[in-house]
Amino acid sequence: MGALAIKNVTKRFGDTHILKGIDIHIDAGQFLILVGPSGCGKSTLMNIIAGLEAPTSGEVQIGERVVNDVAPKDRDIAMVFQSYALYPTMNVRQNIAFGMETRGVPRKEQEETITRVSKMLQIDHLLDRKPGQLSGGQRQRVAMGRALARNPTLFLFDEPLSNLDAKLRVEMRTEIKQLHHRLKTTIVYVTHDQIEAMTLGDRIAVMKDGVIQQFGSPEEIYERPANLFVAGFIGSPSMNFIDCHLAEQGGDVGISLQSEGGVRFVPLLDGRRFADRLGQKVILGVRPEQIEVAEEGEPALECKVHLTEPTGPDTMIFTQINGKEVIARVHPRAAGRPGDSMRLKLDVRKVVLFDPQTEARLN
Amino acid sequence: MHDQNKLWRIALYGVLLYAAVYYLLPLYVMVTTSVKSMDEIRAGNLIALPMSITFDAWTKAWATACTGVDCNGLSGYFWNSVKMVIPAVLISTSLGALNGYVLSKWRFKGSELTFALILFGVFIPFQVVLLPMAQTLGWFGLARSVAGLIFVHVVFGIASTTLFFRNYYVGIPDELIKAARLDGAGFWRIFFKVVLPMSTPIVMVVLIWQFTQIWNDFLFGVVFSSGDSQPITVGLNNLANTSTSVKEYNVDMAAAIIAALPTIVVYVLAGKYFVRGLTAGAVKG
Ligand SMILES: Nc1ncnc2c1ncn2[C@@H]1O[C@H](COP(=O)(O)OP(=O)(O)OP(=O)(O)O)[C@@H](O)[C@H]1O
Ligand SMILES: [Mg+2]
Repeated sequence: MGALAIKNVTKRFGDTHILKGIDIHIDAGQFLILVGPSGCGKSTLMNIIAGLEAPTSGEVQIGERVVNDVAPKDRDIAMVFQSYALYPTMNVRQNIAFGMETRGVPRKEQEETITRVSKMLQIDHLLDRKPGQLSGGQRQRVAMGRALARNPTLFLFDEPLSNLDAKLRVEMRTEIKQLHHRLKTTIVYVTHDQIEAMTLGDRIAVMKDGVIQQFGSPEEIYERPANLFVAGFIGSPSMNFIDCHLAEQGGDVGISLQSEGGVRFVPLLDGRRFADRLGQKVILGVRPEQIEVAEEGEPALECKVHLTEPTGPDTMIFTQINGKEVIARVHPRAAGRPGDSMRLKLDVRKVVLFDPQTEARLN
Repeated sequence: MHDQNKLWRIALYGVLLYAAVYYLLPLYVMVTTSVKSMDEIRAGNLIALPMSITFDAWTKAWATACTGVDCNGLSGYFWNSVKMVIPAVLISTSLGALNGYVLSKWRFKGSELTFALILFGVFIPFQVVLLPMAQTLGWFGLARSVAGLIFVHVVFGIASTTLFFRNYYVGIPDELIKAARLDGAGFWRIFFKVVLPMSTPIVMVVLIWQFTQIWNDFLFGVVFSSGDSQPITVGLNNLANTSTSVKEYNVDMAAAIIAALPTIVVYVLAGKYFVRGLTAGAVKG
């Protein structure tokens, strides 16, 4: 069943196009991530879903209902804001109760809801405090509590974790995921943190400049990025982009890579598809973990290690291919030291190719 | 080094003391003179302490001093001022708060222009509007009445009260209003339940500001009122200018203090909010 459908939504502020035809459909219970760099229009889209802002054109459907002309309070949604937006003069209890009071929920039911929600979020000992007396993480919980009390069909989260420190952010991320498993309510979640996007989302919409660059599952986005932007935005460290030319050798179509140890031809899987592009420039995209240490006797690229960055479970190797700095993620025991030479190979089943002009993925 | 520091301190306190005395001396002279008898004033020295304290001048200023042909003291004028200042302050502050709320949180096409025009009102010299305002009051049937004075002060006060509130409310995050809208609250509920409770500091500033402005106003009072609707400032002027055979300095001084007392009291009671409120916006960013 459809939970949220955004159909060709555009938004203009005066002469500036902020959203240029957004299309998104998700099913009930899904966790949708809107991710993109600052200023790409994520919050604007969120406000349009919430009804706090009207789209210039297009349609928003929540459940089976077109809500373009429905007031925010009647859309059966709840929102958690980046700044938490807690009412500073009310204590936690009053903050959570405010919406219920406005809607005329009987007092007894209000009390029950407050107890249930505050237990769930472990804020029951804070009910009589004002927001100013809470830590960032506690405020965050109260903001979520206020949304939960609504018991909506759709949750909207606008960068809810971006004001927390790194450790708390990871904890709250897990909690939000658990909450979603428990409640199974549809969630739209805005972030510009690609790790949050990958770990939380069932569906991810990658946005840039008011356009959805790709909409799909985390695996699709990670393994088959639609274009250079998506490929570079998702993943940390970023995907390596290597300029190269398509060439033919011994009947195989492939690319030649030059490292400090010499030049090697690497045949592409299914390379004949690119036969019409022979001799043309392409951009090879390879993620750090797709560069592996070659076994004894396997064909490999001799690469000089410029720098290493141990992260604990893995070590990042900085080297150079086709004149570009390239990062490989290898097992710490296999890692060479700066100045050493390492034998590396690409996982050709996973590498992607991009057209340098259109920036779209080719394979 | 240490000595230099000390010297600097002494100089600093010296200057501060001088400034304090400079400003307090007139007040001292007023207070002491008001409790002296005329004989003592004539005989004695301006800054000497009174030899015996008498409140005759005060009762006379309040109840029996002549202000023109009438000799009923300032009491009538004082109550006129009270009747004028309380509604005028409350109305202009309420309207300013509402205007500021709309102009910062419910912007509409042309709201910036509206604000610019309202702001213009802050800089209009009073003299310019005297004649048109007199005409308008005539049309409304409010000429020469306390109600007319209230109307004038409200109209004039709106510009500055709007400015104060609007600038304060700009500092309240828009997300708070959005959250309240999602919670189902409308224009008024958001105003009364969310925005107004956050406004204590600026409400204090505006109340003090408006009270002082309106209580101390002389020009509007002398132009737009007459006889039994005149405010205390006009009464004081009449009292001081009514020629009697001898100039009763003690009565004049007592009258001046009576006229100034309410603003002093208000500032003493609420002054700490005033300073806090003026800086509150800055701290919040
Ligand atoms: N009311 C408005 N009037 C004019 N321009 C606006 C308005 N609101 C937003 N914008 C512009 O729209 C663009 C997108 O804003 P939006 O807040 O949606 O970005 P975002 O993707 O949420 O960014 P961030 O990650 O920084 O929160 C920005 O360039 C912003 O300046
Ligand atoms: Mg945003």
